[in-house]
Amino acid sequence: MKLLLIEDDVGMADFVKRGLSEQGHVLDHAASGKDGLFLAAGSTYDVLVIDRMLPELDGVSIVRMLRATANHTPIILLTTMGGIDDRVEGLEAGADDYLVKPFALAELTARLNALARRPAVNIMQTTLRVGALEMDLLKRVVKRHGRLLDLQPQEFKLLEFLMRNEGRVVTRTMLLESVWNFHFDPQTSVVETHISRLRAKLDKDFEFAMIITLRGVGYRLIDHPQTA
Amino acid sequence: MAWGTVSLTIPRLLKTTSFKLGALCSLLFAFCFGLFLTFTYLTTTHVLRDQLRTRVSDELNAFVTEANSDGTDTVVQDIKERLARPGSLLSYYYVGDARQQKRAGNMSGFGLRSGWQELDAEPAAALLAATDEDHQIWGQGQRLADGAFIFVGQDAYHVLAAQEAIINTFMWSGGLALVLAIGAGLAVSISFLRRIDDINKTSLAIIDGQLKERIPVHGSSDEFDKLSGNLNRLFDSNDALLDSLKNVTTNIAHDLRTPLSRLRHKLDEAQNSATTIAQFRGHITSALEDSDKLLSTFAALLRIAQVESGSRRSGFATVDLSSLFERVANVYRAVIEDDAKFFQVLITPGVSCHGDAELLLLMIVNLLENAIRHTPEGTTISLTLNTQNAIIADSGPGIEPGQRTKAFERFWRTESSRTTPGHGLGLALVAAIAELHEIRISLDDNQPGLKVTVQFTNL
Repeated sequence: MKLLLIEDDVGMADFVKRGLSEQGHVLDHAASGKDGLFLAAGSTYDVLVIDRMLPELDGVSIVRMLRATANHTPIILLTTMGGIDDRVEGLEAGADDYLVKPFALAELTARLNALARRPAVNIMQTTLRVGALEMDLLKRVVKRHGRLLDLQPQEFKLLEFLMRNEGRVVTRTMLLESVWNFHFDPQTSVVETHISRLRAKLDKDFEFAMIITLRGVGYRLIDHPQTA
Repeated sequence: MAWGTVSLTIPRLLKTTSFKLGALCSLLFAFCFGLFLTFTYLTTTHVLRDQLRTRVSDELNAFVTEANSDGTDTVVQDIKERLARPGSLLSYYYVGDARQQKRAGNMSGFGLRSGWQELDAEPAAALLAATDEDHQIWGQGQRLADGAFIFVGQDAYHVLAAQEAIINTFMWSGGLALVLAIGAGLAVSISFLRRIDDINKTSLAIIDGQLKERIPVHGSSDEFDKLSGNLNRLFDSNDALLDSLKNVTTNIAHDLRTPLSRLRHKLDEAQNSATTIAQFRGHITSALEDSDKLLSTFAALLRIAQVESGSRRSGFATVDLSSLFERVANVYRAVIEDDAKFFQVLITPGVSCHGDAELLLLMIVNLLENAIRHTPEGTTISLTLNTQNAIIADSGPGIEPGQRTKAFERFWRTESSRTTPGHGLGLALVAAIAELHEIRISLDDNQPGLKVTVQFTNL
């Protein structure tokens, strides 16, 4: 992926640069808002990662300017800890996702992957398919190998999100935000509970488990058995 | 004078606002009084002078006509007769011939000329001379065709007396009023200063660290009592804030020291005793977990601070509480069941309030998660939404009555819950959100367990 990072904090920029380069991404870095806007407007990137607080031109303004010029490159805004108001403002300006600093590199990677492969235009899908798993969004019915799975609404929503992100890592935070609209860290095992209930219905009596846990990172839905 | 020593001195009195106001009013009063005096003085004098002038001039004209028709000798004779008559004490006459020799009259011809004149003069009569009034002869002279000169005048003492009387009256009453005004100003200033001194003394004591001092309230419920009462309340809330700040600082230091030293210990171990990559990884992973916990504590503190700042109030809208509660119940039903506890839900549909949906969700989730986390297996947890309030109750161990008010302080935890994960900031956040929404929260005995009642005021 070709990425642009607009971030004035040198330590943070180095951390992100090193981590993403190791994963094979190409990363441009701008240390000020103006340089960043110039780069973002001048070349094509897969995803822009923009810090909210920047010298000269703040992140939200950059997002607004880019969207005003019909630039639809996916954008992740980085916000500071505790800034509950920042998220709404950033998303309203046209950002696609936000991430609260400090974050784990795995969290950023998961979100980059989710954003980069998001379909450009929202095509109204009525069925989702992952391997032998089939979800009818209109009838609210899920089948694996043709066998009907009896899912509760919460489990259905969770599976839908996993299917839309098939093969990609989804983090605990991503699930909380997208499935339950929880923009905070619950003190109980909300995600784990629902995943385990879904798993019990989805993977029970089948040849392989579709939901894989990546310890300390998140989950992934796969369509074929993992080779060790 | 140092601010520390407050006493009633004249220079201080003169500097008070009430005295300055009093002085200004007195000055304005004096100015108006002066204007009034001048006006009265001028009109009265004018009227009296006019009357006198008309009389004199009528008499003179009569003499001139007489002289022209019957000759000057007749006039001389006439004046002599008039002077001989009683009741002519205030009238003055002079008739001189062409050679300036006096022919008749009760005054000397010295300095007399044609036209209107006002002369200082000794009164002609001994009777009048005995009185202490000022005397002036106001009159008019005219030269006749044969060269003779006639002057007719009148003693103007009553005009002068009237003028003096007016001035005296005004001086006395004005002076008295001024003295009264200044006296009243001083009296008000003194009582004003006393009250201010009370406030100053208390404020200084509080600045000096005697935080329990309060301004005396006189019970007269005047504006000073109201001010003192409000200031006392301000001091009370300051006191409470300082207390909680002190607690928070101590608690932060205390609560963060433990995980920080644990973190340090793990890094130390990784550096000194790890021999394999797996061991090294293990130490680092667990150090990362610790730092994440620390970060989440800070995030929670910042969140509370942000809620307390009140900035979210601008985004208040109508929140559908019923569906918000349904959502929470749906998410947590599985969590509670998997935790081997029972869940009772009773949600009245169509209940809404004015507020911030995200914060209200955070509040309910916090309360519900507390009920899940601090109770043993087999506990029944209930979530109820009525049209008036919401109740989150459990049949767990509950909180000691004496501890219930403390429960909303930052970092407060029950002794038994010290071992369960958490940072002790959940209820502090709940309190902050409740305060922002003017929601009253009470903790009661659920017999057994804890019952949290969320009393909405803006439904």
